Amino acid sequence: MWDELLKQLRRYESAVITGLGDDGYPFSWRCTPHPDQMQKVLRIDVPPGAPVTPGPAGLLCHRHDERMWNQRSFLVRGRLSSAGGWAFVPERLIPGEGARGLLGTLSILRKARRAAREYLQRRGIPPPPIPWAAINEDKAQLLREK
Amino acid sequence: MTDRAEAERRSLLLELPADVQAVLREFRTCELTTLSKDGGPITWPVMAVYQPEQGRFLLSTAIGLSQKVAHLRRDPRLSLLFSDPTGSGLADPPAVLVQGDGHVGDDIGTWNEDLRVYHRQAWLRQPMSRTYSFSPIGRYLMGWYFRRLVITLRPARVFWWPVGDFSRTPEVVGPTDVG
Repeated sequence: MWDELLKQLRRYESAVITGLGDDGYPFSWRCTPHPDQMQKVLRIDVPPGAPVTPGPAGLLCHRHDERMWNQRSFLVRGRLSSAGGWAFVPERLIPGEGARGLLGTLSILRKARRAAREYLQRRGIPPPPIPWAAINEDKAQLLREK
Repeated sequence: MTDRAEAERRSLLLELPADVQAVLREFRTCELTTLSKDGGPITWPVMAVYQPEQGRFLLSTAIGLSQKVAHLRRDPRLSLLFSDPTGSGLADPPAVLVQGDGHVGDDIGTWNEDLRVYHRQAWLRQPMSRTYSFSPIGRYLMGWYFRRLVITLRPARVFWWPVGDFSRTPEVVGPTDVG
């Protein structure tokens, strides 16, 4: 997992780190993680005054282009440690959009379709009809107004 | 929520500095964090619609990607970080973190006023999303995308870092105890 994390991390300039505050609310910031090969942790800077505590944490890298396309992302679950300076201790890497190419994207779409079907089945709800004509008419009107 | 609490949250957003509000309005994506069953934070890139007059942010997720909704139904605490200005047209904007509680409606929507506002922002900012409903094949492949749940965030506290400089102490608006 460590080697794959470093491979993925090299594709991004920075990462979003999220820890938990004293009140349990998530607190996120962006920084550039520095791999510590010996300890297999990522050394990070924490903003001064940030109300985060050592414990459960996450790391997200993502990017998109100017038109919100070509999206890429991956997530790492782990924890924050403050012993010997702040560090993110990675535990589990979760591939996201674009991480595994076109096949990966198709796999995400297939899983989403299946999950939607199961969401409805669990609740005994028939698939709500989608008013395609109304949606396309509103979209056309929006683009005419633009 | 009482009328007074509603007014306070509306006021919190409307009184933010103009450059902070520009970020909330113009950034194409933000990073939504919810809390999983084991209490750990999970962060997702999402699009948020800024609705300061209603004192809230509007988000939505397809029922096929509903893990974040399951989290919020168990624990409403969430945060939104606006830290990637790509596509926003803003130069040296602040980075902004919003904390608050998320509310998820029970109804699976396909087309209502909230979803209309949400889709309209997506169509304008993500042109490829216009194609999802256009052709029979698109409608077949993406039908799951149009069966959605609406998430609203009532902000309780807002932090921001001028020019996106996280080495500085953030500015903050809102009570220090949001629980």
